Amino acid sequence: MSTKDRGPKVDGKQVSRRQFLHRAGWTGVGVGALALGAPHHRAAAQAGSYPEWIPPSTKPPKRGGTLTRASAWDPPMLDPRMTQSVGLYQFAGLTSSRLVRYTFVEEASNPVDIGLKGDLAESWSASPDYRIWTFKLRQGVKWQNVPPLNGRELTSADIKYCFEAYAKEGVQTFNFKEIEGVETPDKYTVRLHMHTPNVFVPQSLAEPITVIFSREVLEEDGDLKKRLIGTGPFILKEHNRKVRVVLTRNPDYFDKGRPYVDEYIILSTPDAATRTAAFRTGQADFIHVSSPSEVEVLRKTNPNLVAQSYHNTLTPFGVAMAQDKPPFNDVRVRRAIAMAIDRQKQVDTVFEGHGILGWGVPYIYYQDKAPTAAQFGPWWQYKPAEAKKLLAEAGHPNGFSTTLFYYEYFPQMTSQVQLVQSDLKKNLNIDVKITKMDYTTYYGRYADLKWEGLSWGFQSGHAVGIDERTYQYMHSKSTKNFFRVNDPQIDELSSKLRQTPDVKEQRVITKKIVDREFDQVARLWMPYDNGFLVFQPHMRNGAALALRRTDGYGSPHMARVWLDK
Amino acid sequence: MLRRALLAVPVLFLSSLIVFGLMRVMPGDALTVLMAESGNIGEKELAKVRKDLRLDLPYHEQYLVWVWQMVSLSPGDSLFTGEPIVVSLRKAIPVTLELTLLAMVLGIAIAVPIGVLSATRQDTASDYAGRMVAVSGLSLPDFWLGTLVITFAAIWFHWIPPIGYTSFWDSPGRNLQQFLLPAAVLGFRLAAATMRMTRSTVLEVLREDYVRTAWAKGLAGRIVVYKHALKNALIPVVTVVGGQLGVLLAGAVVVETIFALPGMGRLTVEAIAYRDYPVVQTNVMLVAGTLVTLNLLVDMTYAWLDPRIRYG
Repeated sequence: MSTKDRGPKVDGKQVSRRQFLHRAGWTGVGVGALALGAPHHRAAAQAGSYPEWIPPSTKPPKRGGTLTRASAWDPPMLDPRMTQSVGLYQFAGLTSSRLVRYTFVEEASNPVDIGLKGDLAESWSASPDYRIWTFKLRQGVKWQNVPPLNGRELTSADIKYCFEAYAKEGVQTFNFKEIEGVETPDKYTVRLHMHTPNVFVPQSLAEPITVIFSREVLEEDGDLKKRLIGTGPFILKEHNRKVRVVLTRNPDYFDKGRPYVDEYIILSTPDAATRTAAFRTGQADFIHVSSPSEVEVLRKTNPNLVAQSYHNTLTPFGVAMAQDKPPFNDVRVRRAIAMAIDRQKQVDTVFEGHGILGWGVPYIYYQDKAPTAAQFGPWWQYKPAEAKKLLAEAGHPNGFSTTLFYYEYFPQMTSQVQLVQSDLKKNLNIDVKITKMDYTTYYGRYADLKWEGLSWGFQSGHAVGIDERTYQYMHSKSTKNFFRVNDPQIDELSSKLRQTPDVKEQRVITKKIVDREFDQVARLWMPYDNGFLVFQPHMRNGAALALRRTDGYGSPHMARVWLDK
Repeated sequence: MLRRALLAVPVLFLSSLIVFGLMRVMPGDALTVLMAESGNIGEKELAKVRKDLRLDLPYHEQYLVWVWQMVSLSPGDSLFTGEPIVVSLRKAIPVTLELTLLAMVLGIAIAVPIGVLSATRQDTASDYAGRMVAVSGLSLPDFWLGTLVITFAAIWFHWIPPIGYTSFWDSPGRNLQQFLLPAAVLGFRLAAATMRMTRSTVLEVLREDYVRTAWAKGLAGRIVVYKHALKNALIPVVTVVGGQLGVLLAGAVVVETIFALPGMGRLTVEAIAYRDYPVVQTNVMLVAGTLVTLNLLVDMTYAWLDPRIRYG
């Protein structure tokens, strides 16, 4: 983050009484103008003019200060066993540690650096068959100095207790039940015996949701809904639902000298306009916005802001087809639909050119650069005439009627759904009846896997590991296989991938899985916005790496943020 | 009056049946949202949690359990957050109460003088201006006005209310900073409706014989208008203000969201979205009870304003 373009502090700006009155008068005029439909100032979509990567600051970090963020999310509760909500994990990775973690911004060489580092573990190794994993813990790691832990030392027994509790109940049972048993040969060694060989165990344990919680709190309270005490860089000082979360620096954090800021405050701010206003007035130090025009509008009031053009490595949303039932069990129908949808138009219009065409497995697991449209294969090119011919071959020369239900995760999604409806009608004479639902109705229907027709499907956002995105989302026997993929080749390849330690071979197998997925149109990915992280000029090392944004599941990065003021 | 009070019982009973029934008709439940998104939870595990929370009971039993909880003033815990509902309400009620009261005070303080001014200066520039403001207030939705206010405040003054909530007793200054703008937005609609009603009823009363007599006696204009005309003109105004309470509470949902205030509106909307049955049911009953009580108070105010009205 460059310092030369740093400007005056917004929150320190003085407005005289005369200026205030003058502006108050003009506000009325401004409101009137807007009400009368003043032209919306869309800035030129200069997405390319923003850096994709903001390298870590070379200056020595400064200690102190309060970092603030206006957040759309509110933690429903504090129990990591019971929720995977981003509301909780926007800070749980700061109060609590994991055995292993992904690289932080200041350690990364580029935005797609997905190297693993030790968090509570200093080192780890696997048996030759990848069924036994041994983790050597750091010595002298202290739980936070608050009752009932009072700063006692963390030992391997804590890890064993935590992993067994995860396996026993809650939302992570599926993953932790893959562990056959946990052994603790000494205070600082944890040995995991897996049911089946799995080379991705460290990656799975580095996921943001696998935080180590304390035995004492669970035993005293019966759950972890009210207290979250860990070994992380920040202590949870206050959690006032729908108001704020306050984290204070943990002076006993094992990574000496860190974190840099004294306090991190997350303000519950459900409205997007209010979050933007908070950034403008300095009540928030950083913000996520979707489009280039939003960055440009912000720049008018905050000319010294620093924007990172965030590039997704995958899309979480696509058209899910009931491919176990007619007509979608016919691959020709799926291919015809894929060829009839103009995805580039969605990128250009809905996302102002700042989006990706859509794919489900992060490309970084099989190639270095983001895929191009040509790479997806013949069925993913926009060819309406060929699509119509193929649909006729499948026995639907006059199209058919179907349904699509969705939940509007973000406002642009409705435009996407309508564009798909329009393309399918225009190009294939497929009538799509759209039903927009509230989240609970949508989710209940989507996850029971009995619906017919189409749905705007999703993959959950917290886990972007290679195993999660291949085996767990596409294997026919996985409970996370929401797109109802049932392909023997993908089953075989994703199972083989779990037993392949060599990274080069992993990339080859992953590419085969992706090619097969696209050839069979097993999941019909839709474009997704890339978005921007926008920082106040004094914020350092807040940039996001490719896999996770620092304001969401990538929150552990915040331990390395510092304020240059 | 007692008979009127007793009429509240069937109203509240019907409300309880409607809210209970509607929540059960809606598909999905809190557990699905909270736990199943990961795709990791089996039906067996979900069934166990449902049993723990007594969601597996037949509907009539669930209803009776809930009614008993309400009557014994212990409405239970939120299914979604696990927090006792009493605790949630203790935090949310003061916020919404302060917001709506401030909105009402601001609304009435603006509406009545302008309404009277509009009526006494009929068809002048000030009358037209007042009427234009009133029509705007009725036409502009809260979400639009709130968004506009917060956006323009940030752009023009580099200031918005401090995000969050501070109790008035902890810091009156900060609390008022947080509440004045949202209360003004919320009160604008009330002010508009009240202003129009004040204007038309004052106009009507000003043409009454007794007002003409007061003018003929040579009383000062201020005394004629405020002492003789206004009190009699206020009965329909009170009706409008009473009727607007429901609108204020509904508007509070949007205003609390925009200004990030942790009140009843946000609590209820979130609870509906997540099918948090006990929270929704308790909140709806609380609002229903409040509206019934306030309507009773409005009826009593009629009797005070107009001695001819008697409840026998």
